[in-house]
Amino acid sequence: MNKLREKVRKLLKEGKVAGYVGYMLKDSHPLPHFFTKERLEEVDQAIVAPGDARYPLDKLLQQVASRYPEEIFAIQVRGCDERGLNELYKWGQLDPEKVVLVGVACPQDQADYCECPGPWASVIDSGEKCQPVAKSKRVARIDALGEEEAFKEWLGYFQKCIKCYGCRDVCPMCFCKECSLEHPDLMSTGLVPPDTIFQLVRAIHMAGRCIDCGLCEENCPADIPLRVLYKKGNDLVKDLFGYEIGSLESGPSPWKFLGDESTLETKPM
Amino acid sequence: MSDTNFEPKIIGFFCNWCTYAGADLAGVSRLQYPPNIRVIRVMCSGTVSPHHVLRAFQKGADGVLIGGCHIGDCHYLRGNFMTIKRMRFLQDLLKFTGCEPGRLHLEWISAAEGPKFAETVRNFTEKIIKLGPSRLKLAARAA
Ligand code: FES
Repeated sequence: MNKLREKVRKLLKEGKVAGYVGYMLKDSHPLPHFFTKERLEEVDQAIVAPGDARYPLDKLLQQVASRYPEEIFAIQVRGCDERGLNELYKWGQLDPEKVVLVGVACPQDQADYCECPGPWASVIDSGEKCQPVAKSKRVARIDALGEEEAFKEWLGYFQKCIKCYGCRDVCPMCFCKECSLEHPDLMSTGLVPPDTIFQLVRAIHMAGRCIDCGLCEENCPADIPLRVLYKKGNDLVKDLFGYEIGSLESGPSPWKFLGDESTLETKPM
Repeated sequence: MSDTNFEPKIIGFFCNWCTYAGADLAGVSRLQYPPNIRVIRVMCSGTVSPHHVLRAFQKGADGVLIGGCHIGDCHYLRGNFMTIKRMRFLQDLLKFTGCEPGRLHLEWISAAEGPKFAETVRNFTEKIIKLGPSRLKLAARAA
């Protein structure tokens, strides 16, 4: 923790960044906090939020950055947060030149809980690398079900939805001004539970974009295993298009460009 | 389900430059195919969003057939590269959620392929009749 605080203090003091988006204990709750040079003493209370208190810092950064597009900001990132930033750069929502990383490595129990394939940031200022989880058991379980069984299970989940839009609102990757989930031409409005396709539509939007932070699932009052759905979406994008989500090496998102040639074949009837 | 009276509703999204013209050719050649298909003409198969497909299923379609130009023949050059990406992905997502991926089919049919058009519609309709009413539709009706 000291190393992290030291780094943040230095960045702020030297004016390298205009602010730091991190966490602080407030009334013994770990909450997101915006640290500045003017209140440097607060950095002594900067923390790495424990696993069960995660917030969409990437989303907060987008708000700050759009207000102050000229400024550079530092942000605390776990592996997932950094993948999120990388995707947001690709989608033109943030400028990589204006972001400084304060990296965190997640502990093993967090990585296991998340089934996280990359539980650390590219710079580590707190924590140590643990074992990543390459394959999701939760996805594998559904994969192994028969089609009818899978449908029953998902339908059961989908019908619990109270359409609070919590999954979308907490999502650091949901940055659209207009949302198809509320578009009357694409979705029935004013219905609870929503159309059965509601979660599928969101799954399509998340495919190749979801950074698997899991906040949607934690936020869901109906306990819909959204993460399983989006993890699968990402697996498919990887299998079909060879696209690695949140990696700067793997080029633009396959949904963003047409491609130079198509090697995919139509499925036989 | 082998409901003999089952008349499926099939939505066809056909590209103006190829499959739609292929349908025309099938028509003027007086080729027979089942009348269960409702055609929506689009300017390129690449304009068909997964939203449209899912919306069709939600609204009670038993099958969705998408027709586009062969790869290399798209009038917007590479529009159909996106079509195949989207539909392959969607089929696999439907499979994972048990939503009967076979009800979504993509076929490249050119303006000259009237017989292929008629045969595709025939085969697809037969397949959908065998599958019976769609699960998504039944769920939507029950809700
Ligand atoms: S113009 Fe026919 S598929 Fe693009």
